[in-house]
Amino acid sequence: MAKKILLLGLVLGLLWTTAFAADEIKVGSINDLTGATSDVGKDAALGIRECVTYVNDSGGINGKKIKLLLYDYGYRVPEAMTIYKRFRDYDKIALLLQWGTGDTEALSPTVNKDKMVTISDSLSGHLCDPKKTPYNFVYSTDYSTNARAALTAWYEEVWKKSDKWKAARDAGKKPKLVCFYMFAAPYASAPIKAIKDQAQILGIEVGKDEDVSLTALDAKSQVLAAKGEEANIVWHGNTTMSVATAVKDAYALKLGADHIVNNWGFDKNLVRMTSQAGEGVIGAAACAFLGDKVPYMDKVLEYCKKVNPGVPIEKRDIRTVQAWLKVSMAVSGLQKADKKGKLDGPKIKAELETLKDWSPFDTPNALGRSGYTVTPEDHRPTPVSLLYTIKDGKIVPLTQINMKEKFPDKWQSWLGW
Amino acid sequence: MSYLPCGTYFESYGADHQWWRTSFIKGKMVLMLVVMAVFPYLVDPQWLSVAYTVNYYILAALGVQLLIGYCGQITLGHAAFVAVGAYCSAYMMLPQHFPWPQWIVDAGLAYPISMVCAGILAGLWSVLFGLPSARVKGFYLIMTTMAAQWITVPLVITQYVAQIGGRGQAFSLPEGTFRIGPVLIDSDTKIYYLSAILVCLCLLAMGNILRSRLGRAWIAIRDNDIAAETMGVNIVAYKLYAFFVSGFFAGIAGAFYISTLSFISPEHYEWFFSLLWVGIILIGGVGSIQGIVFGSVFVVMVFKLLEMGVMWSSGALMDSYPALGWITTKIIFFKEAAFGLAIIFFLTYEPNGISYRYWQLKNYFNLWPFSYTGK
Repeated sequence: MAKKILLLGLVLGLLWTTAFAADEIKVGSINDLTGATSDVGKDAALGIRECVTYVNDSGGINGKKIKLLLYDYGYRVPEAMTIYKRFRDYDKIALLLQWGTGDTEALSPTVNKDKMVTISDSLSGHLCDPKKTPYNFVYSTDYSTNARAALTAWYEEVWKKSDKWKAARDAGKKPKLVCFYMFAAPYASAPIKAIKDQAQILGIEVGKDEDVSLTALDAKSQVLAAKGEEANIVWHGNTTMSVATAVKDAYALKLGADHIVNNWGFDKNLVRMTSQAGEGVIGAAACAFLGDKVPYMDKVLEYCKKVNPGVPIEKRDIRTVQAWLKVSMAVSGLQKADKKGKLDGPKIKAELETLKDWSPFDTPNALGRSGYTVTPEDHRPTPVSLLYTIKDGKIVPLTQINMKEKFPDKWQSWLGW
Repeated sequence: MSYLPCGTYFESYGADHQWWRTSFIKGKMVLMLVVMAVFPYLVDPQWLSVAYTVNYYILAALGVQLLIGYCGQITLGHAAFVAVGAYCSAYMMLPQHFPWPQWIVDAGLAYPISMVCAGILAGLWSVLFGLPSARVKGFYLIMTTMAAQWITVPLVITQYVAQIGGRGQAFSLPEGTFRIGPVLIDSDTKIYYLSAILVCLCLLAMGNILRSRLGRAWIAIRDNDIAAETMGVNIVAYKLYAFFVSGFFAGIAGAFYISTLSFISPEHYEWFFSLLWVGIILIGGVGSIQGIVFGSVFVVMVFKLLEMGVMWSSGALMDSYPALGWITTKIIFFKEAAFGLAIIFFLTYEPNGISYRYWQLKNYFNLWPFSYTGK
């Protein structure tokens, strides 16, 4: 009798699961919660879960719930590959959310062959040229544009105007750029070619690159080398922990140079970890910071508390907001494709490529972003780079640069850098 | 070493060292080949990538087993040699870098030739870092092999080799690059078969080498290098041979792995993998060819089973109690901890590796019901 009841239970369970599965859309998410970039990856993973919960609570994708399959790959590409194959062959996901530049670029030939739309936290410029990577999409300003914009902002707002560099300016000295990044990390090295090109455009000299690990606890030798080069500006291409180490060592060793940082190295943790050393650091941001007064931030905060009550809000950061931006873009593509009756890769891709003056959740300036335009020829969603600086221990807006308007003759040629 | 079934005797050294000594062993091997051949038709497609990841780890760990398990030379920089093989093969297949005669490209020989060249180059590179083994051993040798990792991947490959052609350190290879004869390697099934063939060939090669004069010299060096030298073994030369063969297998592994992604990046050859492959032979069994297979299957499957467990429990939790979704992210952290614990438990309770357990199990059945070992 007990066996019969068990069997009946199993059959009912199976039927229930099948019935449930018919009304859901599966989205796979490969995240780094335990690997080299987990310092920023954990917050992002929490944000993805929270945003998907919000979307499901708000009616899902035209009434269908999103079933999120989120998994950690520990920043190891072979694991990312087997997880992706599971998502593709077993779970039959409609869309893939990815994490790092390494795994996104590594899986790019595969996802493009499989026609699987992928939205990654990697904002590498290499993923923006549809001729090479038609199924890869990014959800914010790409690293190369950010690097060019940050250098331009520093050159125009600091080098040309600040008293700190007056003597050097008056002496006719050209400023000198040194890049700190992990050579072997595709994320860190992705915008290097672009920033050096921008330095040439602006007339900035370029010194020798310094290899700083993503997990560096000491960057003194690199700082001393940059000091020997008499660097005026340092580009930090790593994530927060590593950038904080380098900025603190630069302060301790009196490097004297200013610092500009890529978006994954610039957040509230940088302020906490660098304290006085971080004053004046300029950084790019993918969207508004957590708690900023922009539309939809109330939802972000509400779902932080609702879905992950065990994680205090003070410990959350901009990575959560980025996750919402990423999911909102995915949802937009899924909703449009689903309305047209087909949720496959080519259809989702075609719908994402019709985004024009788009804002997250169709609300202007939601999460601090708007005006996205994606076309079949260009997957860079926006030429606007959001730049912030650390002032009195707080992150404050510095400027926004529209690189397309500023360099109209060059913008198109920068695609895919 | 294994016991033979009662009543089976060999009267010559050659007969005792045959590959397939009894018809039962022959049957087992044929069965294994049949299972490998039909594997893609028996399983869900997702398992193919798991299978060729196991095979990739076997190919990569072969050289580690040779150096540590058979020659007693501890290495912690093997990912560097895999990287050398991968980049060598990748560059040799890009027409702008390597002007192959058209008939070689048409005949689908570019990839196999590049694979052999990758093995040779990685072997020579390995010899370079094996030179210190003439003077140092033990912990000091670990440090010199670690230097291979730091010098090769972040410096030589990232800064110089990967910059050739100006495409940057990480790049994809065009579709249609991987061809062997008329077969285009463009699906998981074909990648699996390629990996299975390479594993069989490399295991066969290693098994044969170990039965030769070379293999016996390595084992002598491992057991007691001073005694080996006293007996006339040129230990420096034989150690360097070991580094070459080990690097050769690593080069083959690297050349194979790029076909799985059609993409190459220095990030795929981080130091973690050098450690992982040493872990594989420790788990599988040091000084055992079977141990490499067992260790690779164990490592890949533990991660895979943990992944399945976490995904299943997350899904069930989300379906039943969506408000507890936050727990699902917490569960993921158990994966890494569980893997670490599995290794600790394993090494504590079976320090001789899985191959020893397999050996015990095999002999139990071989001798059943009259075991004369008392174990």
